Amino acid sequence: MTSDVRPSAHRFSVGELVRVRDDQPGGSPRTPGYARGKVGTVVALHGQIPNPLDHRDRYPPLCTVRFELQELTGRPARDYVTADLHEDWLEPAHPAQLVPQP
Amino acid sequence: MRSVPGTHSPHAVNAGQRLDAVAADLEYFRAKRLEPRVLHLVRRGVISLNDLIRAGRDTVGDRPARDTASDRTSHTAAADVEQRLRALEDRLDAFVAGIAAVAVAIRSADVVIEDIRRERGDYDPFLRIAKRTYSGSAEERMSQLERGLADSEELLDLFTRALLNTGEITARQLDQRRQAVRNQGYRNGARLVARAWVDPEFKRRLLETGREAARELDIPPGRLGKLGVAENTEHEHNIVVCTLCSCYPHDLLGDPPWWYRTDEYKRRIIEDPRAMLAEMFGLQVPANRSIAVRDSTSDVRWMVLPRRPEGSEAMTEDELAELVTPESLVGAAEPSVRRTWRDE
Repeated sequence: MTSDVRPSAHRFSVGELVRVRDDQPGGSPRTPGYARGKVGTVVALHGQIPNPLDHRDRYPPLCTVRFELQELTGRPARDYVTADLHEDWLEPAHPAQLVPQP
Repeated sequence: MRSVPGTHSPHAVNAGQRLDAVAADLEYFRAKRLEPRVLHLVRRGVISLNDLIRAGRDTVGDRPARDTASDRTSHTAAADVEQRLRALEDRLDAFVAGIAAVAVAIRSADVVIEDIRRERGDYDPFLRIAKRTYSGSAEERMSQLERGLADSEELLDLFTRALLNTGEITARQLDQRRQAVRNQGYRNGARLVARAWVDPEFKRRLLETGREAARELDIPPGRLGKLGVAENTEHEHNIVVCTLCSCYPHDLLGDPPWWYRTDEYKRRIIEDPRAMLAEMFGLQVPANRSIAVRDSTSDVRWMVLPRRPEGSEAMTEDELAELVTPESLVGAAEPSVRRTWRDE
């Protein structure tokens, strides 16, 4: 999944904690509502994905971000959700911003 | 037949939940797939409202009587409830397949539905078609749903006839499309999975390069964004969704199961995937196995590489491919050697 990625194109790296912006930074509108304002971990880098059939613009590099279900729902769970998000939606985060473990 | 094994079992889901599911699905496909399409073609002048009226007038004599609710209201036995529920579910499936058959065949296929507007960012709730609510006792909701579905079936019937009458589609095209809808294009996915089961090197390439690996099987890889392949293991079960619209690698794998597009599925799979898999699909994921929900976008479209079932050790690659169902490619089912490759 990461073979065609030039790491220099990415602001974030695998393993980094990120927070999803709650405002609309422009660019791709495809950031799910449940992830906005939430903190997750970058688990894969995809680089810039040209996708002229779906959008003419070239969006910023794309990261797969893992959100623990507990962070999204507030209920304890071992399950998680991954979403593929463009970097303009992401900002660095700190562990303290995660929903605390019970 | 409804394509989700398990949902037909009266013990898996109680009647109230099944009625809720039918209501949610009926309203989704009526208000988001059928009626917007009718309105779109009226706006574009492809058909007129009078074409619909004429199609109705032409067919008054030969349409079978659909409203059987009224002569059944005296039967309240559990067996009758089960029978009516099944009839509703089967009619709903035929209704959804009927929409798919006319949706693709028409020349003006550039219908901009709500989901596309939403992801494009110019969604306007003002244009939304109101959804009906079904309330009251289970018996009352059942009767309302039978009438509501009959109404929508009638509209789909008139719409299809109007498209035929105006020459927008031919009967031959419609037949071909109905056939194609029945033969869902998931077999490419089944072949990829079977090859990955027998060839570890191919599996590695599939997981790493996604759709590029499809070329090795002479499958056109398509070009709709990137293909994400999520491997089910002893420790992790993957389930795919597209919460914003209905993104799926359909250029490679054909259409996803029809419920993939429903609001109910998109909402509940994020809220509580474990309960959702158990209740909607009868899939009990062991407590020590994590569930990973893969939310697809147009840029990365996910499929699941299911686990090879026990008892399949002696099977050939072709036989293995027959075990893979459309549901297992999104993670809503696990391939099994005991079940035939289709439930009908």
